[in-house]
Amino acid sequence: MNPYVLAILLFGLGLGTTITFASSHLTTAWMGLEINTLAILPLMAQHHHPRAVEATTKYFLTQATAAAMLLFATTTNAWITGQWDIQQITHPLPMTMLPLALALKIGLAPLHAWLPEVLQGLDLTTGLILSTWQKLAPFALLLQIPPHNPNMLIILGLTSTLVGGWGGLNQTQLRKILAISSIAHLGWMILVLQFSPSLTLLTLILYFAMTFSTFVVFKINKSTNINSLATSWAKTPALTAIIPLVLLSLGGLPPLSGFMPKWLILQELVAQGLLPTATITAFSALFSLYFYLRLSYAMTLTISPNTPMGLTPWRLHTHQSTLPLAVCTMTTIALLPLTPLSITLFTP
Amino acid sequence: MLKILIPTVMLVVTTWNVRAKWLWPATLTHSLLISMLSLTWFAHTSETGWKSLNSYMATDLISTPLLVLSCWLLPIMILASQNHLSQEPANRQRTYISLLISLQIFLILAFSSTEIVLFFLMFEATLIPTLMIITRWGSQAERLNAGTYFLFYTLAGSLPLLVSILYIQTCAGTTSLLILHYAPALPMTSFADKLLWAGCLLAFLVKMPLYGIHLWLPKAHVEAPIAGSMVLAAVLLKLGGYGMMRIMVILEPLTKELCYPFIILALWGVIMTGSICLRQTDLKSLIAYSSVGHMGLVAAAILIQTPWSFTGALILMIAHGLTSSALFCLANTNYERTHSRTMLLARGLQAIFPLMASWWFLASLANLALPPLPNLMGELMIVTSLFNWSWFTLLLTGAGTLITAGYSLYMFLMTQRGPLPVHILGLEPSHSREHLLLTLHLLPLLLLIMKPELIWGWAI
Repeated sequence: MNPYVLAILLFGLGLGTTITFASSHLTTAWMGLEINTLAILPLMAQHHHPRAVEATTKYFLTQATAAAMLLFATTTNAWITGQWDIQQITHPLPMTMLPLALALKIGLAPLHAWLPEVLQGLDLTTGLILSTWQKLAPFALLLQIPPHNPNMLIILGLTSTLVGGWGGLNQTQLRKILAISSIAHLGWMILVLQFSPSLTLLTLILYFAMTFSTFVVFKINKSTNINSLATSWAKTPALTAIIPLVLLSLGGLPPLSGFMPKWLILQELVAQGLLPTATITAFSALFSLYFYLRLSYAMTLTISPNTPMGLTPWRLHTHQSTLPLAVCTMTTIALLPLTPLSITLFTP
Repeated sequence: MLKILIPTVMLVVTTWNVRAKWLWPATLTHSLLISMLSLTWFAHTSETGWKSLNSYMATDLISTPLLVLSCWLLPIMILASQNHLSQEPANRQRTYISLLISLQIFLILAFSSTEIVLFFLMFEATLIPTLMIITRWGSQAERLNAGTYFLFYTLAGSLPLLVSILYIQTCAGTTSLLILHYAPALPMTSFADKLLWAGCLLAFLVKMPLYGIHLWLPKAHVEAPIAGSMVLAAVLLKLGGYGMMRIMVILEPLTKELCYPFIILALWGVIMTGSICLRQTDLKSLIAYSSVGHMGLVAAAILIQTPWSFTGALILMIAHGLTSSALFCLANTNYERTHSRTMLLARGLQAIFPLMASWWFLASLANLALPPLPNLMGELMIVTSLFNWSWFTLLLTGAGTLITAGYSLYMFLMTQRGPLPVHILGLEPSHSREHLLLTLHLLPLLLLIMKPELIWGWAI
């Protein structure tokens, strides 16, 4: 892509999120979300492949719907209460519509159907931006809206974790698997939103680190389905040895740092008295763990001297800078002993 | 405590920094030194019951034998793995030894933790190195299925445990064992408290394993390489028993009624697994099912919560750990020579491996609980305490003992006695390393006859 155009689009992405972060007026927040959507559309369609164009169109339609719903909720609130402040939304109608609009924006179940198909049509870098950066601005809004209907958020969360488990069991395409893992993690974040927003933020940031590592590893291997992972031991042996830990951290196994948000969220749910919810959510993590385990089997645990799964590929030099990958991988694996520090960092 | 833990952590650094030629001697020597140091934990002079107490870790009369067993296991695992890993590149050997050492670290932290949450974290943490050992270094295609069964059976049990522990923390305000053992009992009156009881114990019952939920164990034990089988049989199953012993103190008074189905399952499992052993063709599978049987006795004993039963359970855990690990080592000597676990293919081996046959003899005698070995002490105390709880259990435990003797004898006669098959043309002679390995298993077992107070737990 033309570097000037790329610079404008990336600047637009940064601008949109920053506007939403810095806004206290609902219209400004909506504006930031729209700038984000518009800035990423050319990035998604840059390869002019029909599949990419289809993904872009689906993304545009869903995000526009969500933005329209958000605008409607905003104007309703302005009409009824006479003010536009984000933290002062008091009427039940906008208080219910806003989280639903934002749920459609980020891809929470049952409003998740667009996410796997959109991610599948994108290349891995744009998919990474979609999975991580595009979630920041909606969450900035979600964290500020006072919760009205406790059951709605819990149902959104439970459905997302369960869909995030069952949805990935039959997938072989890596981008769809990552989309479904995104749905599951977002479910965990939404569950605890009304009780402890700082835990939501902690889960979000850790999810960013884990997803970043996974996307970059797939980029280095240039692999988009499970079969092509089997040759990664020939390309990057050291990374292949570490990846099962990253994937099991996504699945939430102790003593990796992916366990930290799950542990703290379950603690908060139990403290609030929601034990059946906690148990169902904990079990849904097992479903997701199954396909993460399958990925780590395909990638690392079946390498030689066992029967090789594919032909040894050429070891071509990748132009991927590995410092961010190293930082994110270490965050994904080794952060659990620093749990008290992480809690303190995110508590206002 | 840190005198043992920090050298064990640094052992990982040693593994990656020694020259490849000195990898196995260096790691073996250092892990032996650490296990010698760990024997100092046996000096119990504390009045409060807890020794080496710091904010997070302490040793107790029931955790000390298990801790020493875990520390003892690392050098013998390294000794056992030396042959089958010799073909691999040096970095893979280092990775394997690092996995064994990391298991050791997690086990030390688990058995010495004073907080139930730390125990849970380490209980789960042992899953990852074991999974890697089974699925990466196992030899058959079924190892992937074995790893999946192992991981998901254990996790399905331990997720309710996590929720239960967090609930106990919310109600009692703490999960520290130092406080909870002496705190006033939680009010346990509703149906939800019965679910709490089940949630607390299910994870440990899956790990032990209890007979109905034991399916992961034959798969995992059979598919694992020798170090994996050893650590699974010797220590990881005991994590379940130890966890049960710790957490049952908090769960009164529900245990009196709720323990019935699990005791019945455990004792029935002794008989069933014993009968399955009599029909096995796979040697490692036979030893794996015998583990299920012995741990069924341990589970039943822990569930009735009397002083003799706890002591018997602890003795049987230690004795079974050493015996089962020795049997797996013996099966591995067969496997390394014939690359088959089928018992029919390697019979009458006494004719060609006479000294190994004497180790087979001793290990089989230990497995069937011959006096004066500690296996008998444990089983006898368990059977007696179960008889005191209900005379009917004697039918099950007595029949179980009989069947155990039957299949142990069957295993010995099948592998050692009888004519050598005609298709065995030449097998490598026994290595001194293998004799040393079995001596290091059986000598502590024999020495424990002299001083069983070391493994009596709270009965001292």
